[in-house]
Amino acid sequence: MPDVDVLVVGAGPAGAVAACDAKQAAPGLDVVLLERDRAVGSPVRCAEGVGDAGLREFANPDGADWAARKITKVIFLAPDDTEVLVAERGVGWILDRTRFDAHLAAEAAAAGAHVLVGAEATGMSRNRRGGGDDRWHVRVKERGQDTVYRARVVIGADGVETMVGRWAGLDTRVPARDMESCAQYVLQGIECDPDAIYLQFSEAIAPGGYAWIFPKAVGVANVGLGLVALKTDGRNARQYLDAWVDRRFPTAARTGYTVGGVIVHTTIKKTYADGVMIVGDAAHMINPLSGGGITNAMKAGRLAGTTAAAAICAGDTSERRLAAYHHAWMELLGEDHLKYYRIKQALESVDDEFFNKLARTVNKIPAEKRSIGRIFAHALIRHPQLIPVAARFFV
Amino acid sequence: MRRVTPDTIAVVDLAVCDRCGLCLPLCPPEAIHLELNVLTVDRAACTGCEKCVGPCPVGALAMVAYA
Repeated sequence: MPDVDVLVVGAGPAGAVAACDAKQAAPGLDVVLLERDRAVGSPVRCAEGVGDAGLREFANPDGADWAARKITKVIFLAPDDTEVLVAERGVGWILDRTRFDAHLAAEAAAAGAHVLVGAEATGMSRNRRGGGDDRWHVRVKERGQDTVYRARVVIGADGVETMVGRWAGLDTRVPARDMESCAQYVLQGIECDPDAIYLQFSEAIAPGGYAWIFPKAVGVANVGLGLVALKTDGRNARQYLDAWVDRRFPTAARTGYTVGGVIVHTTIKKTYADGVMIVGDAAHMINPLSGGGITNAMKAGRLAGTTAAAAICAGDTSERRLAAYHHAWMELLGEDHLKYYRIKQALESVDDEFFNKLARTVNKIPAEKRSIGRIFAHALIRHPQLIPVAARFFV
Repeated sequence: MRRVTPDTIAVVDLAVCDRCGLCLPLCPPEAIHLELNVLTVDRAACTGCEKCVGPCPVGALAMVAYA
């Protein structure tokens, strides 16, 4: 039975950073990073967009092979296809997640963490009677064989499925209204600005969510949408996407597709238990307004990795000690997500005609003076019921 | 506590399922499992609430008569 100090389940951005930072914080610890799939970073279930500032806290995208495209513009598309260009500086990047996740896992390995691919955690249990061994026993299936790992701290970075949280007795369930069903194609041979991301909000195209075009190269983009099933006309996400792509890019070649869920909720009430921390998508640490989760996941991974290292070195991995991770996350971003969630709820009351009118009004502002803040101000004038929400958000 | 047997329960079409895991946290009794790349619905635990059916991005889940 292999004994480890920190066992990280899931080698996405959250898990890889957690493993790397735990090892760097306490080089004497045994840190193991498990990946269920045969390759880290595959299959890609992501639109691959990330903000510049958040990314740079963890990796330098300049010239990196895992950065597919630098993005300098955001174009909002009204439901009637009116384009609104928003001027921003150093907006962000479209990643190549296959390479990016491999890069982060390699960093963890370079720090001394042990990376295992094709290794799936299938359950875990713990002797709760007190006294003696209180470590978690995690069953891992690898090449058809079961191995039980004994771990002082288990970090659950297992994404939307969030099984580690379930096994640890935490409530990681999601109400249906807070689950975005997403589908995406990689399209080749399309005409769009390769330096811009496009976001289209429309009840007819993506009810309760939005549709996106994220360029990966000139003429190549991730084209997808996320929607809330409760608001649809009965079609599923892929059927909505087919309709949108048929209309907008009828001649494009579809060279790949992916589907998945994005939890647009707020952080789970409790992200920790004795010897357990849950990070990233698994803990619902996604920005509920944008659906973005990559940098959030890495930030949470950093907090969890360093908390795990310090707890083990202090000989106390109880939930009382690990609660520090939860509080640090809530202070860093968790509280902000509660505000974003309220804005998301308020935006649910506006209809397509509102967005069409807003787009035409905002386009009268000179392009260089348009910012998200100004657009929001115009939205408030047109839609006074948003004012209390905005007041809560900005105060 | 005795569990009332539902009239219908969820089943997955594995030929359509993409193994994305979206349905797992939607299931109130946590009856859906994804292990070794196969999605399964625990028919003894499924309460027939249908919360997993609509959100599936590819329509791989459906309700069938409990038999």
